[in-house]
Amino acid sequence: MSEVKFASNGDAQADVIIVGSGVVGALIANQMRDEGHSVLIIEAGLRINRAQAVENWRNMPLRNRAGGDFQGLYPQSEYATAPLYFPANDYVGLSGPNGSSFKQGYLRTVGGTTWHWAASCWRHLPEDFRMKSLYGVGRDWPISYEDLEPYYCKAEEQMGVAGPNDPEMQSPSQRSRPYPMDMVPWGHGDRYFAEVVNDHGFKSIPIPQARSTRPWNGRPECCGNNNCQPICPIGAMYNGIHTVEAAESKGAKVLAESVVYKIDTDSNNRITAVHWLDTDGASHKATGRQYVIACNGIETPRLLLLAANERNPRGIANSSDQVGRNMMDHSGFHCTFLTKEPMWLGRGPAQSSCLVGPRSGEFRSDYSASKFILNNINEVPGAATKALQLGLAGRELEAEIRRRAIHGVDLSISLEPLPDPNNRLTLSDTRKDKHGLACPDIHYDVGDYVRKGYDAASEQLRQIGQLFNAEEFNITTSLNANNHIMGGCIMGSDPSDSVTDGDCRAHDHDNLWLPGGAAMPSASVVNTTLSMAALALKSADAISQALSRDAQGATA
Amino acid sequence: MKPLLSRGFGMKVMTSLALSVCMGSGAVWAADASSDTSADNSAEASDQNHVTPHVGTTIHAPRHGPAAAPGINVDISSFPQSEQQEINQGHALAVAGDCAACHSLPHSSDDQMFAGGYAISSPLGTIFSSNITPSKQYGIGNYTEEEFSRAVRDGVRRDGANLYPAMPYTSYAGITDEDMHHLYVYFMRGVKPVEKPSPETQLPFPFSIRASMKAWNMLYLDQKPFENDPDQSEEWNRGAYLVGPLEHCSACHTPRNVMMAEKVGDHYLAGGSVGSWYAPNITSDEVSGIGSWSNDQIVQYLKTGHVPGKAQAGGGMAEAVEHSLQYLPDSDLQAIAVYLKSTHPIRTSDEEKARFDYERSQTEGLEDELRGKHPQNSNHTMDSGAALYSGYCASCHQPDGSGSKNQAYPSLFNNSVTGADNANNLVSVILEGVDRNADGHHVLMPAFGQNSYVDELNDTQIASIANYVTKTFGNPDVQVTPEQVAQLRAGGPKPLMAQMQPYMLPLMIIGAIVVVLLIVLVVVKVKRRKKRA
Repeated sequence: MSEVKFASNGDAQADVIIVGSGVVGALIANQMRDEGHSVLIIEAGLRINRAQAVENWRNMPLRNRAGGDFQGLYPQSEYATAPLYFPANDYVGLSGPNGSSFKQGYLRTVGGTTWHWAASCWRHLPEDFRMKSLYGVGRDWPISYEDLEPYYCKAEEQMGVAGPNDPEMQSPSQRSRPYPMDMVPWGHGDRYFAEVVNDHGFKSIPIPQARSTRPWNGRPECCGNNNCQPICPIGAMYNGIHTVEAAESKGAKVLAESVVYKIDTDSNNRITAVHWLDTDGASHKATGRQYVIACNGIETPRLLLLAANERNPRGIANSSDQVGRNMMDHSGFHCTFLTKEPMWLGRGPAQSSCLVGPRSGEFRSDYSASKFILNNINEVPGAATKALQLGLAGRELEAEIRRRAIHGVDLSISLEPLPDPNNRLTLSDTRKDKHGLACPDIHYDVGDYVRKGYDAASEQLRQIGQLFNAEEFNITTSLNANNHIMGGCIMGSDPSDSVTDGDCRAHDHDNLWLPGGAAMPSASVVNTTLSMAALALKSADAISQALSRDAQGATA
Repeated sequence: MKPLLSRGFGMKVMTSLALSVCMGSGAVWAADASSDTSADNSAEASDQNHVTPHVGTTIHAPRHGPAAAPGINVDISSFPQSEQQEINQGHALAVAGDCAACHSLPHSSDDQMFAGGYAISSPLGTIFSSNITPSKQYGIGNYTEEEFSRAVRDGVRRDGANLYPAMPYTSYAGITDEDMHHLYVYFMRGVKPVEKPSPETQLPFPFSIRASMKAWNMLYLDQKPFENDPDQSEEWNRGAYLVGPLEHCSACHTPRNVMMAEKVGDHYLAGGSVGSWYAPNITSDEVSGIGSWSNDQIVQYLKTGHVPGKAQAGGGMAEAVEHSLQYLPDSDLQAIAVYLKSTHPIRTSDEEKARFDYERSQTEGLEDELRGKHPQNSNHTMDSGAALYSGYCASCHQPDGSGSKNQAYPSLFNNSVTGADNANNLVSVILEGVDRNADGHHVLMPAFGQNSYVDELNDTQIASIANYVTKTFGNPDVQVTPEQVAQLRAGGPKPLMAQMQPYMLPLMIIGAIVVVLLIVLVVVKVKRRKKRA
């Protein structure tokens, strides 16, 4: 068991250097530590505690809460800005036809953005890995569903995922192991909705979730506070911080408020060090044998570009010029209406059922797939806002709030973008963070594939509205971000048009790994975290092989 | 439950305070709807089935009544009827004696039962439970019935070495010969041998000298098996036998003297420290004990580990309920209640108010005082007991401390843990949480000590929360310092003998005379005892 070594000047040395302490970095750290390697995690943001986030959320003005401000309650390091929208801090400069649809929320804090995720743990479908071969659009992955499947299982086990074990209710149903926990049970609204739509091919199924439905490894059961986003107040939902702490308890070291900005390479283009700035602006160096950069889909490509050096003038890992390109997110929209029958949504976790009928099919050669989440977030704030707008008061107001809260439906629709090199993250010439490092700019256009998908989904939604005799049926026309950032370090088999291989290893650097959303070459329509976690664990196995090869090399 | 104990941290998490929704808790969300999303409603529908989307099948069948206790892991169906009966009887006795809690690892699979290896961290050091499966190499497979009886009732191993009283042989000494026979048959024929050694116990000198227990036994071991009191009812006698020899309640609930022997004379069941936990007074006293509980409440507590408005089982008591008490027939639990209600009432000096009779001092506005004081993106503002309580506890126990409506998350007032005259159980439950699987419900309050899944709290934070809770919801006279939390985190107050341990070797080397004096003392005492007898 080797340990991290710190020099008196603060420089560090470890077997594995991991930049970023979110779920991806944490899972790798944990496995590396289990295998006896010394592990240093360098995190730009603050270390926070759960109660602080809980209390901050309770102290938030209603405007932020009702508006879904999941970012503003998390304390930020002034040296590691994350995007804020209430009001906007313009940390990420957005441009292009759909720039305003790319307002991503992500946290820069120890534990990462899974502090405020909804814990949906979807797998990609087998066909999602072969978009080009099957549908003639997008890209194929260099690995197959079967290659990733064991890692999906492992990720589900490490994160404690509750899901349906009836294959009819799985998407996909190709699984080698059962879910570690039984599905999060459905409330009345989920059941009723499924009853109405399932005869029409929409296939409403339970969302697999990293959330306890029974006591699990000291993690309590979900008790339905309904505010998974922005913070689970009781720790029933998996957060990356759990794995960070597990790795720390085994001896991994975490440096918070340490902003990596520079990467050294040698003549073989192997990474030899990363440099970070502390809160006094002093620079320190971490040297290791294997390096992982897992800072999320925006910060990872940003760092690679920032760290351009003489040997890699376009940026680290960027001989293909693909770093920062192919930016993707599941651009989404909402469909809201009032049902005739009561729905009673708002009990339990924020989301529990989802319509996956439109998730795949031959149509994907023409237009984007979609999925419709039946949001289970309490409808009261929206109902109250509307009832007040109607000018009601007294008992009438109360009755109207009740009616709307009971009958309200909010479907959250996700669309599947294609990787497009023109959707690109670059470094701002004008905006810098407090350390003087360039902020990211992103140009975004969802493309006709998504626009046609929006039209097709809207048609299906109108059909659903009719099934429910919907009142006040509305489909939003502007697209919203879903914080599933992908593509910026795209994976591929050809080093000339991709950044990493199927293990998320940088084509340009033998000992650099870029696992996470940025590596994903196809978006599917499902939340990315489980795929990111599976990629992390696949990388971890490859890193461990690389380390043992190093060791053999050293003894030989 | 185990004597001397204080289970190893992280080995098996314990309970006392809160709890949670049971196995079926998912039903939480299937319950009737309202727009209130608080935990209050959530815990309600715990008995309902989970319902799956299309078909409405039951996922977790809720259990009605206790299932059979695990423990017979050999197929005995081909054995002669009489032997099957003896095995079943022995099994029932092993359950009532709670052998599994110590001799099996937590959550161990059925075929690993009684393989030992469980770390009992006594104040004198860690004691590992032994393999008591009939393995000839690693277990008790070579024991004759007489040797078995000597181990269980006299605390002496087959090789003649003494057991430490972490094994409650001073209680088991009262088991009758007939029951010993059934136990022997059960362990030899109904339990699968596990071919695995259990770790060796290595206490520091001088406790490493097992023979020292011989002198201790002369002083404190009463070897007489239990005999019925003809003046009492059959039910009372059954209760006395269960409370005494089998369930060994006294091992935890009776305080111990400087030699760490139970003060059974004047303080029987008057409450004692058990590592970081406190096993409260369970005499019939109406203020300090359980004299004001109805027999049915006592039965409910033993069966489920929870009586709303009174108490819930944590720590070793949760284990006793989980492994033993929940499986006893109702008639046995009633007998225990009858016996406990008849015990000599012992009032803790000056105590005027029962630990479960404390009401909250404030009912409204508790949360309001916290709001609007800090910006929404603050950091480091969790600096008071009230703020910490709100952030870590109130989502389940509610800002006003009332718990959930059905008390699946218990109220913090009218609660033995917060109204007790010491905060050991309050601090321990925060540190170690509650993990109790009884009556078809798996209760889990997360731990907030080391390796907490939710968040690790430090000594100062835990002291702040505990003080806020006792002041607002419980016994306001109880104050907790961070130093006390640190001590409980380290396993609880050390008895004199443990404190003296580092000095014992030098003392002995310098003065062998001390040993001589001790022997003289023993002889005198034994003579006196004989005279009395």
